[in-house]
Amino acid sequence: MSDPTSLMFTTIFICLTVNIGMSLYGIFVRPSLVKKFIALTIFSDTLNCFAIALGFRRVVGSYPSIAVLAALPESPEQLSQLASTAVDPLPQALVLTAVVIGLAVYMFLAGLILMYYRYYKTTHVEVARGGRVG
Amino acid sequence: MRTREVVIAVSVAAMVVLLAYAIEVGGLGPIAPQRIRDLAATYLINTYNPWNITLSSLSLEAVTAIVWDYRGIDTFFETSVLFVAIVGVTSLLRGFREKTGLSSAGLSEIVKTSTKVLAPLILVAGVAIALHGHLTPGGGFQGGSFIAVLFILLSVTFSLDYAISYGISSRKLLALRSGGLIGILVTSLALLIASLILGVNSYIFQNMAREGAPLSMPSWFLDRPTGGTLIWFNTFEALAVAAGISLAFLVLSLREEEVEEALGQVEWYE
Repeated sequence: MSDPTSLMFTTIFICLTVNIGMSLYGIFVRPSLVKKFIALTIFSDTLNCFAIALGFRRVVGSYPSIAVLAALPESPEQLSQLASTAVDPLPQALVLTAVVIGLAVYMFLAGLILMYYRYYKTTHVEVARGGRVG
Repeated sequence: MRTREVVIAVSVAAMVVLLAYAIEVGGLGPIAPQRIRDLAATYLINTYNPWNITLSSLSLEAVTAIVWDYRGIDTFFETSVLFVAIVGVTSLLRGFREKTGLSSAGLSEIVKTSTKVLAPLILVAGVAIALHGHLTPGGGFQGGSFIAVLFILLSVTFSLDYAISYGISSRKLLALRSGGLIGILVTSLALLIASLILGVNSYIFQNMAREGAPLSMPSWFLDRPTGGTLIWFNTFEALAVAAGISLAFLVLSLREEEVEEALGQVEWYE
């Protein structure tokens, strides 16, 4: 906990868990389907941020120059140097897949919510069960 | 009702505290370790490795190489999921018909003029993100979403009537979307077809030469690396995603009058 990098990462992770809690509360408690939908997108974005943050890597001492291949490498040593400083690319690729599938699901959900609104003239969940608003 | 909300709030708060404590004491493994896993190092070393071409994809960007080369079949099915979702949306809202003269004439003159300035910039940026997917961060999906924003912006500021009067219809967008998916399929099978003609072995989704499969996609265009299949995948994916998201927006933004006409007499709740 003493060095600033640890403190920063701990803060980020705790903020993400708080975000998860708030979005779950929104999904469970808010009666409006649109509010539930927004809370669901916040939930999935938080989990994606989690996955990206888990792939991060700490560098001891001063940070090197940006660890990307800015030009074509000239020798295999340059590649091993990249591998010794760059972050894990696999979580980013998996998150990209998750984002695309999330988009597909949300488009479908938005269509469903739109149909619900047109049929019942409200987005309150209790109405479909025959309950009373408010 | 009140107690139920309180119970949910307290249990969610307890979950947050426990999860934060578990992360703090290292329950999910060390936070931001100094060494990355061997698998990640393998990807980083082999993504652009002209000295060991049988493991490489000759793409400077590791994420695109993983998405479209090392885990290509994953991404193909992911694109199919997006396609199926769009088909679901269009069949769910099947009362949709392109009719003009229903909605307003768009936003004010100032917004229209500034959109005209912005529109070509958005298009160029989207295409650049898509086509440079194997060189810089970005790729087909990101570029395609970027281009779809252009359509959404135009149909909001100039009204949907304007877009429809320019000949954009859900049928054409769906055809473009399917064309992108077919392009991805053809690219993934291109080397297989070539190897059947030449009588050598090959794999589906093959990019560079592998052991026992000597064919490679052309990985250079003049003096620029193209990443073999990656540039084709990114192009077709950008086309497919741009058309797909535009289509979903077109269908989701249909007018109330059309729905009531299509559904007929709807039995409203009370």
